[in-house]
Amino acid sequence: MKLELGFIQIKDIQFSKECKVENGTLYVNADEVKDFVFKDDDVKACVKAAHFDIAKPGESVRITPVKDVIEPRVKVEGPGGEFPGVIAKVDTVGSGKTHVLRGMAVVTAGKIVGFQEGVIDMSGPGADYTPFSKLLNLVLVCEPVEGVHQHEYEHAVRIAGLRAATFVGELGRAVTPDDTQEFETYGIKEGIEKFPDLPRVAYVHMLQSQGLLHDTYVYGVDAKRSLTTIIYPTETMDGAILSGNCVSACDKNTTYHHQNNPVVADLFAQHGKTLNYVCNIITNENVYLADKMRSSDWSAKLCRLLDLDGVIVSQEGFGNPDTDLIMNTKKIEQMGVKTTIITDEYAGQDGKSQSLADADPLADAVVTGGNANEVIILPAMDKVIGTLDYVDKIAGGHAGSLRPDGTIEAELQVITGATNEMGFNCLSAR
Amino acid sequence: MSYRVVHYINQFFANIGGEEMAHVPPELREGHVGPGLAFNQAWKGEAEIVQTIVCGDSYFAEHEKDAKAQVLAWVKEAKPDLFIAGPAFNAGRYGYACANVALAVKEELGIPVLTGMYEENPGADMKEKILIVATTNSAAGMRKAAPAMAKLAMKLMRGEALGASCEEGYMPNGVRKNFFEKERGSKRAVDMLLAKLAEKPFTTEYPMPSFDRVAPNKAIKDLSKATIALCTSGGIVPKGNPDHIESSSASHYGEYCLDGVDVLTAETYETAHGGYDPVYANENPNRVLPVDVMREFEREGKIGKLHNYFYTTVGNGTAVASAKKFAMEYAQKLLQANVNAVIMTST
Amino acid sequence: MASDRQYLILTNNPLVKTCMDGRYAIRFFADLSLRDILVKARDMVYEGHELYTHPLAGSVKPNETPYKSVVVSRTAGQMQADQAEIMANSIVACDKFAPRHRELSQKVREDFQLIDYTLLSGALGFDAAAGLSNACNKK
Repeated sequence: MKLELGFIQIKDIQFSKECKVENGTLYVNADEVKDFVFKDDDVKACVKAAHFDIAKPGESVRITPVKDVIEPRVKVEGPGGEFPGVIAKVDTVGSGKTHVLRGMAVVTAGKIVGFQEGVIDMSGPGADYTPFSKLLNLVLVCEPVEGVHQHEYEHAVRIAGLRAATFVGELGRAVTPDDTQEFETYGIKEGIEKFPDLPRVAYVHMLQSQGLLHDTYVYGVDAKRSLTTIIYPTETMDGAILSGNCVSACDKNTTYHHQNNPVVADLFAQHGKTLNYVCNIITNENVYLADKMRSSDWSAKLCRLLDLDGVIVSQEGFGNPDTDLIMNTKKIEQMGVKTTIITDEYAGQDGKSQSLADADPLADAVVTGGNANEVIILPAMDKVIGTLDYVDKIAGGHAGSLRPDGTIEAELQVITGATNEMGFNCLSAR
Repeated sequence: MSYRVVHYINQFFANIGGEEMAHVPPELREGHVGPGLAFNQAWKGEAEIVQTIVCGDSYFAEHEKDAKAQVLAWVKEAKPDLFIAGPAFNAGRYGYACANVALAVKEELGIPVLTGMYEENPGADMKEKILIVATTNSAAGMRKAAPAMAKLAMKLMRGEALGASCEEGYMPNGVRKNFFEKERGSKRAVDMLLAKLAEKPFTTEYPMPSFDRVAPNKAIKDLSKATIALCTSGGIVPKGNPDHIESSSASHYGEYCLDGVDVLTAETYETAHGGYDPVYANENPNRVLPVDVMREFEREGKIGKLHNYFYTTVGNGTAVASAKKFAMEYAQKLLQANVNAVIMTST
Repeated sequence: MASDRQYLILTNNPLVKTCMDGRYAIRFFADLSLRDILVKARDMVYEGHELYTHPLAGSVKPNETPYKSVVVSRTAGQMQADQAEIMANSIVACDKFAPRHRELSQKVREDFQLIDYTLLSGALGFDAAAGLSNACNKK
């Protein structure tokens, strides 16, 4: 399956009377986007108010609490559309041509639950830890209708963000991309014939799937209700996997992370050169122990069935996914397939505690996204998009986390994407 | 004013002689000696070695207590900003001396300490207790080791926060520290996987905690005929601790006879352990070493008999390598005495 | 999946009691902390009760939420070492988070209860929304 991505470099975002992309500037009429967002019945029923704001790299701006980050895209050729099974129809994506508004994102913010987390600082020390400080962010701040259930509201805000991104992405349809790249993986036999001497490598992509605020959707299917399965890497790149995860800001995978999965990108970079990138295996992280056993058995089984030589395993979230990670790794290694895993650490504020909640000697090749418990001081920003009301409540914050002058003293955990377990960042630990 | 440093080296690096001169007792010299010059040069006047302590490796090994006391006395007098030892490269006894003398200075005098050696040097067992810079295995690596140690030493003297072990060159000390790599994680993962697939060396960023799992022996079929021994890392010793087992980082174990002992009492036994509240163990030492219950089982015929010696040490910060050495030694004694099983208690 | 009849829910979450009472066997401990629930579950696993749900379910950190539900079997069999290890590791993981002294409002408490309840529902295949509306009807 072959996918062509056309990157339209966005260099500025401005509010304007009309909506368009021109010479690298995105012009947005906020009311028009809002109208489109509110055409959805669930959004209409659950979201009382919404407003847009713009945050640019280097500004003294703090966005919090962040729910999701989404890259606007539009399908210009080939089957399917953006966010299949949720916004577009469920047709298979991952082939044809998609335009990407590069350098920007739609960020959804606002309270979902009373401990809603996620901070994006556009400048200062916090900005070094989140990849989203480097993007032009169109922020959609939502407020719930009084009395709406949290799970309905989470769904509505998720849809609101995806609809906003769809609307903005559509503006790139007729724009000529600045740069175009092609990505292709092959059928099993075809791949072996093409690269007979290269090791066969796949990516075991673990999806958070524990329940409310901890979900991931694949073509609209809640990942916890799916068995471990195979997906083309280009499907992942083309919006097949969406985040419904609102917890553990530092190591949750936003939709942006899925669209721009760095493991997929870096495996493609080596594809046909040092390795044969076969496919992605998606597997869930359920709460029920028997589910964990079954899903990891299937990961290992598929690795064997595909005659793989090696896999990279990435994780999402804190605590019990460590068990899934170790089960996957152990079973895959026992099948004779070599593994490298990506995780992050909770080694305590002093860095002296055991980093993972599970361990096995077979997991001998580990990449770490850093210690999420390390304390950081985030100086006050001139402007807050969203609200600081929840800072004391969020993971990694504490009573008094928010000082009167607006400074936040908290653990790295509070920062969106800081210790990403797909290896999106350069942060590490020893 | 520049920072003041005391340097510890062995007879070889002081140009006294090799193995034949390893017996020389500690000696205090003014200024720098041997490798100290390289440190002074690297510090460019911001710090200076004011005194050098020279001690023979055999002397240290055979008179550890006296040697340490002498070094501590001199260092206390000199009141330096830093105590630096070695580097010892792959010299085992030198490395052991550097690490132990540095630990003593750190713990007793509260002065920052630093040493350097090869990672397989037995002294490197102490890497979680003191900062040890990793060096090559021979003194030929001095040109690389000295600047690395000097740089880290300067940070310690200035009181600056240390970066991650791989940035600063010290051996991983169990304290996880964040830092920014040059490549993102996914790229590092792909590179690591390619190395692993090609069976080339690679370094994991997070070594899994290593558990020295011991497969249990086959179950004893008939306990009523078995001789069972008691062993402990809980520090139970005859009152007065006759063999002076250290309250932490024990250097030896004790072997004590249980002939005629029906129950351990507060009058006759105590714990030497310094890592837990000793009140309950001292009040009733059977809580740690259950001689009372074993005697009961003996009388009831549940077990054949309790072995008439018990083996004991303090597990408080004791190096795994030391603990292994103790056990290998007394396991032989247990085998010779036809002991069938051991109950090992910890605290 | 094991039979619903084998499930025993250890919880300090009142919402679990309200919504799931009658459907599953529940031991509700109003005064126990999150850690106490883990210790209780660990002790039962040591006694040979089977562990059905991962004790660290959810990415909400153990020093963040006060609520925890763990499902074990009602009857005890042979102790399973891997399950005992999961329990022990979970308590170690719980202990490495610095305690955070703060008052939680009733609203935030309810949100934490809801998360724990929905994670548990998802694990057991229980219809969380139906449980909530049943509970409302009872009121």
